[in-house]
Amino acid sequence: MFAEPAAAQLLPEQPLSIAGGRVVIGAEITGTFAPDDPGFYNYTSYEFSALRNFRLGVSAELRANDYVQVLGEVRLDQGHLFEAYGLFVRVRPWPRRRFDLQAGRIPPTFGAMTRSAYGSGNILIGQPLAYQYLASIRPDALPSNSDDLLRMRGRGWLSNFPVGNAAAGPGLPMVNTSRWDTGVQAHGVFSLFEWTGAVSTGSLSDPRVRDNNSGRQLAGRLVARPHASMVLGASASRGAWLSRTLETEVPSAADVPHARQVAFGGDAEYSAGRVLVRGEVIRSTWDMPRVTTPAIGDALVATSVLVEGRYKVMPGFYLAARGDRIDYSEILGSRLRNTWDADTWRLEAGAGYSVTRNIMLKGAWQRNRRDGGRVRHDDLVAAQVLYWF
Amino acid sequence: MPAQASPAGTGIRGRLDIRRLARPAERRPDVASPGAPGPRDVADLRRGVVYLESAPRAAFDEREPGRAVMDQRNERFVPHVLAVMVGTLVDFPNNDRTYHNVFSLSRARRFDLGRYAAGKSKAVRMDRPGVVRVFCDIHSHMNAFVLVFNHPFFDVTEDDGRYVLPAVPAGTYSVVGWYEGEPRLTRSVVVPASGWAEADLVVP
Repeated sequence: MFAEPAAAQLLPEQPLSIAGGRVVIGAEITGTFAPDDPGFYNYTSYEFSALRNFRLGVSAELRANDYVQVLGEVRLDQGHLFEAYGLFVRVRPWPRRRFDLQAGRIPPTFGAMTRSAYGSGNILIGQPLAYQYLASIRPDALPSNSDDLLRMRGRGWLSNFPVGNAAAGPGLPMVNTSRWDTGVQAHGVFSLFEWTGAVSTGSLSDPRVRDNNSGRQLAGRLVARPHASMVLGASASRGAWLSRTLETEVPSAADVPHARQVAFGGDAEYSAGRVLVRGEVIRSTWDMPRVTTPAIGDALVATSVLVEGRYKVMPGFYLAARGDRIDYSEILGSRLRNTWDADTWRLEAGAGYSVTRNIMLKGAWQRNRRDGGRVRHDDLVAAQVLYWF
Repeated sequence: MPAQASPAGTGIRGRLDIRRLARPAERRPDVASPGAPGPRDVADLRRGVVYLESAPRAAFDEREPGRAVMDQRNERFVPHVLAVMVGTLVDFPNNDRTYHNVFSLSRARRFDLGRYAAGKSKAVRMDRPGVVRVFCDIHSHMNAFVLVFNHPFFDVTEDDGRYVLPAVPAGTYSVVGWYEGEPRLTRSVVVPASGWAEADLVVP
């Protein structure tokens, strides 16, 4: 009378608990399918499209005791790119208090979307532009002047500059979620507020395991929950972003270690009943050393704005949409004044259907526009199959 | 408990002895979180359900639909197992500090109550027999069962496994012991014209 369907019992539906709960393992398997993306709008810093990927992520938590836990996640992307995405020790000096210290390859401090940019946390399939879309600038290569930079507008997926590493390679997103930074993080909860602070090796655009410039990134985030339906967040980050290999290439070598990426973000989330709405604004600046004229001058600025929402139409079925754009500051070249990279915007709309609680199908249509580069518009349809436990 | 008056001293009673209790669902390892989650209660998995696989015809007579409660407290559904008759309205009050989103994708009853805050309650009418698996969309470790019967001969066991199926007419019945999502064993029991039939069920 009450037998569960056999199929429902073939796959785990809860995290695996081993050694009396001391080791807990979860996983997420994602298959994402889409046609070719000729404009490389969905390219990531790992040089593959976020819309054409098979990802297996296995996360584990080792609970030594109430004071110490070790957490890690390994990922297999594209069926061959395998790495420890996160691996850190969490220390809770006072287990009854909401205060933690984490050290190792730590989760991102900055931004609201770092945990919801992919997979089950993402209401759509594409990632938010600020967290994925590649601008042309690189940590290992510099434009010698503003003309070099303007020449690369809309070419972030494969840019090249004459100073430093001359080989073509992918540029940087505003916030890189393809990999995590290495450092120390403190986190606490006090009343309506949750705060996080971190010191780490890389920068927001270029998180690193191995240091490449002796610089340190400072990042902080404050979250307030004035009401159960509302989450407000503010983030800030400052870190050296250029590789020390450029010091021998730049006349004013002292500029390289002092070149900083500085970012500020504000975000809000409202949810009630069947509705979820999120918004986020991020402004990032990158200092650029002067090499030759026409010099780039002021720091490069990128500003992203995102609004997304989800509406549950019926049990197990929802509709979602996201509007997203990045605007870049203007620089003066020898012949014209233009934004240093091509302003880009994206509209994505889609739906999600839960076959079971932890097996989901998603479909999305994505419209990309850019005011520069070889391919200035791109309309894509994507599908995703997702299983987690 | 079944919504039926019980003539004294007749029926089936005994213990459902669960030798290996299931482990409560763990939180997924939240590697992307900058800190450990707050404290929570774990589900109490000591209880099962004992019921008659088929019931005498009179058991299916129209009854006044009842009302039951499945609470949400400290990231836990309370009780973890609820057994009701068809037509029962189940209230899902949120008595927690945080938002919850109760939903079920079970064939017996699909529903999604959306997100609602502490102090609020929403209700679902269980209008078909079957197992309704209940989850929270926000806290993946929260889960519970609502078993919906079209007859009154069922009982959720006590913590020690004891159960009582009162007022079962004389005859031979299949008694089912159900635990954590599936029927674990079935046993034939003869109910005398007067007095109790004793039936202990052991789930290895």
